[in-house]
Amino acid sequence: MDVVRFYSNIIKRNMDKPEKINKLINFGLATAYYYVSIFKDKRGPNSLHYLTKYCIKSIKDSLENPQNSAWVNIFSPCEFLIALDIKPLFIEAYSSFMSGFFIEDYLIDTAESRGISNTLCSYHKTFIGANELKILKKPEFMLTTSSICDANVPTFRYLSKKQNVPLYIIDVPYKYSKEAVAYVKNQLLEMVEKLEEVFKRKLDLDKLREVVKIENKTRTLINKYLNYLKEKTLLIPMTFEMYMLFASHIFIGSKEILKFYEMLLDDIKNAPPRSGKSIFFLHLLPIFEKNFQDYFNFSNEFHITGSDLNFDYLEEIDEKDPFRGIAAKLILNTFNGEMERKVTRIRELIEKIKPDGIIQFCHLGCKQSIGGTFIIKELATKMGIPFLYLDGDCVDKRNNQMGQNRTRLEAFLEML
Amino acid sequence: MVGYVCKYTPVEIIEAFGEKPVRIESGCKSYERAEALLHTNTCSFVKGVLENIIENNIEEVILTSCCDSIKRLYDVLKDRVKFIYILDLPRKKDTFAVDVFYKEIIKFIDAYKAFKKKGFTVENFLKILEDKSSFKKTQKSSESIAILGARLKDDVVEKIKNSCSVNIINFTCTGEDRIFNIESEDNLLKGYAASLLNLTPCMRMAEDRSKFFYKDFKGIIYNTIKFCDYYSYEYAEMKSQLNIPFLKIETDYTDSNSGQILTRIDAFFEATDIKKMEQKKAKKGYFAGIDSGSTSTNVVIIDENKNIISYSIIPTGPKALESAFKAFEIALNNAGIKEKDITSIVATGYGRVSIPFAEKMVTEITCHGKGAFFIDNRVRTVIDIGGQDSKVIRLDESGNVIDFVMNDKCSAGTGRFLEVMSRTLGISIHEMAKVHAEVKENITITSMCTVFAESEVISLIAQNKDQKDIIHALNKSVASKAVSLVDRIGRKGKYMMTGGVAKNQGVVTAIESKLGEKLVIPAEPQIIGALGAALIAFEGTNG
Ligand code: SF4
Ligand code: SF4
Ligand code: SF4
Repeated sequence: MDVVRFYSNIIKRNMDKPEKINKLINFGLATAYYYVSIFKDKRGPNSLHYLTKYCIKSIKDSLENPQNSAWVNIFSPCEFLIALDIKPLFIEAYSSFMSGFFIEDYLIDTAESRGISNTLCSYHKTFIGANELKILKKPEFMLTTSSICDANVPTFRYLSKKQNVPLYIIDVPYKYSKEAVAYVKNQLLEMVEKLEEVFKRKLDLDKLREVVKIENKTRTLINKYLNYLKEKTLLIPMTFEMYMLFASHIFIGSKEILKFYEMLLDDIKNAPPRSGKSIFFLHLLPIFEKNFQDYFNFSNEFHITGSDLNFDYLEEIDEKDPFRGIAAKLILNTFNGEMERKVTRIRELIEKIKPDGIIQFCHLGCKQSIGGTFIIKELATKMGIPFLYLDGDCVDKRNNQMGQNRTRLEAFLEML
Repeated sequence: MVGYVCKYTPVEIIEAFGEKPVRIESGCKSYERAEALLHTNTCSFVKGVLENIIENNIEEVILTSCCDSIKRLYDVLKDRVKFIYILDLPRKKDTFAVDVFYKEIIKFIDAYKAFKKKGFTVENFLKILEDKSSFKKTQKSSESIAILGARLKDDVVEKIKNSCSVNIINFTCTGEDRIFNIESEDNLLKGYAASLLNLTPCMRMAEDRSKFFYKDFKGIIYNTIKFCDYYSYEYAEMKSQLNIPFLKIETDYTDSNSGQILTRIDAFFEATDIKKMEQKKAKKGYFAGIDSGSTSTNVVIIDENKNIISYSIIPTGPKALESAFKAFEIALNNAGIKEKDITSIVATGYGRVSIPFAEKMVTEITCHGKGAFFIDNRVRTVIDIGGQDSKVIRLDESGNVIDFVMNDKCSAGTGRFLEVMSRTLGISIHEMAKVHAEVKENITITSMCTVFAESEVISLIAQNKDQKDIIHALNKSVASKAVSLVDRIGRKGKYMMTGGVAKNQGVVTAIESKLGEKLVIPAEPQIIGALGAALIAFEGTNG
């Protein structure tokens, strides 16, 4: 896409003028937003169109209103932010967009030149780089959890010190127990106090309950959606599965996301029966990898039937005691704790969806996911499903061995 | 024997069971078995632990939920050893956190009891705790060097201790005295859990560590581990805020790079005056410096007026000592003098430790700084790109080394990189060095890694790209590595480039254009280290 390259070159040339970059990025997002609003991609379902718009808008909103926004990571409990009407910006999404604008290399090099480890996950490095270059306006608050991803606590601590912005770290224990729930619940209460103080507003408990209610309703829809995946096919691009992370994590509990899943359910009900080969992805999808784009985007032959990260929690949250309920949800996430938990969930999903193959794209720097690769491979072998893992990077395009990956991907697809 | 890795492990409880806790060190030669079970890109420490557990047949292991890598290690080990337990270690230390950890310790005790079919007595446990507490030592921090960062192997810590006279405090996962202040007996285990959580926090904990470490140590050695990301943040932060001597090292738990690490540590001590060399009066006669590098061995002889009277450069053979003898002999012959005419010899370079006839050993960092400043005292930054490694050295107005960085292990951006590429292109390294200026197409090599860059070059050849343009791209790639090293300590001219690669005009031009400034290139860039050594031999001091 030459327009994007052109735009990325302008940004790169102005890296020493943070104000200007900030405007350029906001402009880019605004353009993208109007573009997707006007030109609907006819190949995809309605829900795709709706979600794309929603995601771009949410990033745009939080960047434009730093005084009412908080930086979070994808596993943060954003129900509280929704109830308090605070706009979350999740750093993984921001980095993905910067990669979409083709400027991730510059941002990553900047972070590394400051001393940040070059083996750190590029979602984090990109964001840190943007922060170092001051192209991000500082938010009012930062929120992260210790669970699932090692990078979160140190990255957020680093950012909050650099920006002098208050941070709340929620420490999520590895194991579930009565004490663990009490520990997290107490932290959530403390965090809300901090939020109230910083944003000068009070949390309305009924509003929080309402958010949790919507979240529970949404999860019912997600479970229903799962039941259709075995027999129906939606033609989608890889980005859809990644946009879904906005829906399954950060913004779940909002009315807009409830509406999205209603639309999605409609779409899948009306979709044609499954044909071609279906691939289930683990963790992340390399949306910027050309080889994958060629094979999977809107493809009838090889289609994506989901990624386990979008189904890492499928249960209800206790509406009566939302603090307790959310604490339990954080601990019981299938990506938290022993790998066994995740393996069990993957097994459930595979039995339900019956995909023809599983692909894990081992995102460089993601210790939690690559560390479990061989365990999942074992599971796939036991279940008799072809499994492929490929190394690469979902953000930093320089780390992808295109030629090598293509051969391996093609050989795998031929195998199916 | 119970293997463990983390300082938060309740080792006293294991001891109270009458068992022997052993901290797994994880040094190993290869990761062959570990990489069959864990992805290659997992942290080298964890792979090493796994390798050790398999090799030494360790049957009982206790881990903590320290990091993603350790958690996956647990998953992999789960059905492979007789007893394994992963302790859920909170990151905070409020009363709720203590509750979590206390319950966890109880569960662990139950699990271990069930496995061993024996228990422990409280008296026993108390005695062990008391014994440890009595070893309480206090040391004034302003007189100490602190080791911070990721865990550091015991032998490296030992070597650091031996190379200087000041007190060394190890704050990494492998250090720290265990001191317990446990109050009432009925709450013994809870108190124990709380005091474990109260150890000096590691980077994994939620607490801000700056209050512990921004006090005035005499210097800080900061360790990071390849593929472990926790500590680079703190390093980045400290680097820009501390104004005491500060050295970063990166270790990887294989044995292969400890030589390089020790060079850095020695250079650090030399630069900060922590390792004092006795001052001697300059004597009459001739003085020699021998630089025994991994690719070439160079010797410089100066007279009592600091005139260079001869030098030699020969490739380092398989035996460093033989090459040193040979190079020394050639230099003596060139100068027309005999060995007995030499008053003093200083050795530097990787091979410096194996030159018995040298009076003194000084690291190549100090020597390079010395030599460069001697040639041109306007120089503030020395960029030395050698065969196997590259370094950037910062000098102050008096020519003292005040900071330096070295490339980490891999050969990207070194002479070796250019050598590999010249072979790929099918031309000699000398021919390659001649190519510069005439560029038709501005190609960029994106891969940082030599191996990947090579496949990029192969595909450029396949696309029929002009050889000169490919060479230009390679020069740019070396230049950008060098400049990023410069950026790690901040830009400051004048710059001098030394080492064999300085003879490659293409690389020189590429670095100049990135820095926006001309480089000083000495007439013979390969002998600067040896020259510095000779000067130190002359002065009898490295200061
Ligand atoms: S990809 Fe892995 S390392 Fe990166 S942010 Fe996600 S969980 Fe963390
Ligand atoms: S980093 Fe902390 S938790 Fe991890 S092993 Fe070291 S001391 Fe233990
Ligand atoms: S070195 Fe780092 S990544 Fe490796 S086990 Fe220790 S804390 Fe984890």
